Amino acid sequence: MIDFVAIEQALVLLFSSLTPWLVVVPGILIGLVFGAIPGLQISMAMAIFLPMTLYMDFMQAMLFLTAIFTGGSFGSGVPAILMNIPGTSSAIATAFDGYPMARKGEHNQALGIALGASAFGVLIGYLILFVLIKPISGLVLKLGPAEMFAVILWGMTLIASLRGDYMLKGLIAGFAGLLVGTIGFSEAGVLRGTMGSEYLLDGVPVIPAMMGMFAASELLRLVNTDYLVENEAARKVNMKLLMQGFRQAFRYPVVLLRGSVIGVFIGAVPGVGSSVSNLLSYIETKRRDKNPESFGEGNPKGVVASEAANSTSEAGSMATLLALGIPGGGATAVMLAAFAMHNITGGPQFIREQTDVVYAIIFANFGQVVLLMGLALLFLPILANVVKVPMSYLIPSVLSLAVFGSFGLTGNMSGPITVLVFAVIGWLFRRYNYSVPAAVIGILLGSMAESSLLHSYQISGGELGYILERPITLFILALLFLSLFGSKMMAMLQRRSQQEETTV
Amino acid sequence: MKFEKRMLADLLVVLGLAGFVVWYLLEAWGASGKTENLILILPISVITLVLCALELFQQLRQGVTQEHQNREAVSSVLPVMALFAGYVIALEWLGFDLATVIFVAAFLALQGERRAPWLVGYSVCFGMLVALFFSNMLPYPMPMSLLPTDY
Repeated sequence: MIDFVAIEQALVLLFSSLTPWLVVVPGILIGLVFGAIPGLQISMAMAIFLPMTLYMDFMQAMLFLTAIFTGGSFGSGVPAILMNIPGTSSAIATAFDGYPMARKGEHNQALGIALGASAFGVLIGYLILFVLIKPISGLVLKLGPAEMFAVILWGMTLIASLRGDYMLKGLIAGFAGLLVGTIGFSEAGVLRGTMGSEYLLDGVPVIPAMMGMFAASELLRLVNTDYLVENEAARKVNMKLLMQGFRQAFRYPVVLLRGSVIGVFIGAVPGVGSSVSNLLSYIETKRRDKNPESFGEGNPKGVVASEAANSTSEAGSMATLLALGIPGGGATAVMLAAFAMHNITGGPQFIREQTDVVYAIIFANFGQVVLLMGLALLFLPILANVVKVPMSYLIPSVLSLAVFGSFGLTGNMSGPITVLVFAVIGWLFRRYNYSVPAAVIGILLGSMAESSLLHSYQISGGELGYILERPITLFILALLFLSLFGSKMMAMLQRRSQQEETTV
Repeated sequence: MKFEKRMLADLLVVLGLAGFVVWYLLEAWGASGKTENLILILPISVITLVLCALELFQQLRQGVTQEHQNREAVSSVLPVMALFAGYVIALEWLGFDLATVIFVAAFLALQGERRAPWLVGYSVCFGMLVALFFSNMLPYPMPMSLLPTDY
C-alpha cells in the first residue's frame, strides 16, 4: 500500500531546496483572509491567484494552492464563530455552537478549539490519504448517483431532525429548501419557478441565500442588543484563553477522530463532500453525547466535530482529484485547472507513475499544518476584536459586507436581492422555530439531489429493485434509519425488557 | 381545537409554506408533466404538504403556549428590515459606494448615534473603503456613484 522508494523521492522533492516552501506562507495568509471575509470564497482566491502558478513548477503550484485551501478551510470558520456567517457551506455546523460560545464571551476558546480541531483534521486527513489513497479512490469509483442521493438524503434528514422539539418544522423547512434548490433549469431542460426572472435561470444563488438566512436574519434579530457579548469583562481578546481553547480541542479525541474519518470518506464524494461531512459529524457527536440538549447552546464538542470533519474533507476531495481526476468542488476544480496548466492529468495512472509527487503534496500538507497554527495564532487575536464593536456599528457593516460579497459571487444584482429575501425568510424561520440550517442544506443540495435521483432512474430504467443491487446505497440508507430511529428503538427495547422483568 | 389571535402568525407561516409548495408543484407540473421533471418535486411536495397539515393540526390542538407569550415585539425589527430593503433596492441606482454610506449612516442614526463626526466619519470611511476593496478585487464592474466604474 505504501511505496517507500516514492517516500524517499518525495522528501527529496520537498526538502532539497527551500523554493517550494516560499509560497506556502503567502498561500495560507491568502486563504485565511479570503475564508474569513464573508462573500470571498476559497475557490475565488484560488482562481484569482491561479495565473501566478504559471510561473511556478508543478510542485510549487500545488503547495501554493493547497496552502490557500488549508488556510481558507480554517478561515471560513472564523466568521461562523464570530458573526454566525459560515464563510463556506463546510463551516455551517461550526456556527451552531461556535457562535453561541462567542455570545457567551467564550470567543477566544471557540477560535482556539476551531484551530486545534482544524489542524488535527488536516493532519489526520492527509495521514489517512497517505495510507489509503488507492482504496479510497477505488471506493469513490463505486459510488453512483444512487449512493449520492442516499448521502444527500441522510445529511438532509439528520439536519432537519437536529432540534428534537421542532422536528416537524425542521423537516418542513428542509423539504421546502430542497424544492427551492430545484428552481431554474432542470437537467431535463425544463424551466421551473423562475417567475419570469432571468436571475433565476440557474436557480437561487445558494451562497447569498445562505448569507441571508444565517447572517442577515440573525443580525436583524440582534438589533436591540448592544454588543455581541453582553458581559463587558468577557469581551477581552486573550491569547491565553485562545491557547486554552486550542488544547481543549484535544480533550475530545473520540469526537476528533470520528469527525476526521467522516470527513475523509464523505469529503471524497464529489460535490457533496465537505458540505455534508461537517453536518454528519456534528449530528453524530450530538446523538452520541450524554447531554445532547447542550448542543446549539455553545458546546465545544460541536465546534470540534464540525472543524475536524471539514478540515479532513480537504484530504478526501484531494483523494478524488489525485486518484480520479474528478474535482469535488470549486477549490479542487481550480486545482484541476492548475493540473492542466502544467500538462498533468490526475487519475490512476498519475498515482501509479508519479507517486513521489502525490506523497510530496501529502507531506507538504503536514508542514502546512504547523505553519497554519503559527499564522492563525497571530491572526486570530486581531479578528477576535470584532466582539468589542458595538452592534449598532457591527450590524450595518456586516450587512453591507454580505451585500458586497453576494454581488461578488453572482456578478449581478441577484446576489444582494437574494440576501435580502432570504434575510426576511430566515428571520421568520428563527422567530417561528423552523430550522434555518435544514432549509439552507435543502437549498444547497436540491438540484444535486434531483440530478442524482434522475440519473438513478435513468440507469435503473425505473426498476426499484436496482437499489437492492447497490450494497453501499443500502448501507447508507440503513445508517440513515439507524441515525433517526436507533436511539428511540433502543429505548423502546429497554422499556419492553424492563416491563417483562417486572411482569416476571 | 383552540384558536386565538396570537396564534395567527404561526398558522400563517405554515400556510405560507404550504402555499409555496402547492404553487411550485403546479408551476413545475405546468412546465412539464414528465417523470424526469417531477421525479423529486412531486414526492417532496406531497411529503411537505402532509407535514404542513400535521403541523397545522398540532398547533391548533396545542393552542396558545408559553412561547407565544414570550415572543418579542417586531416593532424594533421592522424599520431595520425596511432600511435594509431600501439599501438593496437603491444599490443599482445610487451605486454601491453611496448607497452603503447612506445605509450605514441611516442605521447608526436609527440606533441612536448622535455624534456627527462618528456618524459621518464611520459611514464614509467604511462605505468608501469596502467599495474600493471589492471593486478592485472582483472581476466584474459594480455600479458606483463616486468611485470609477465600467458598469
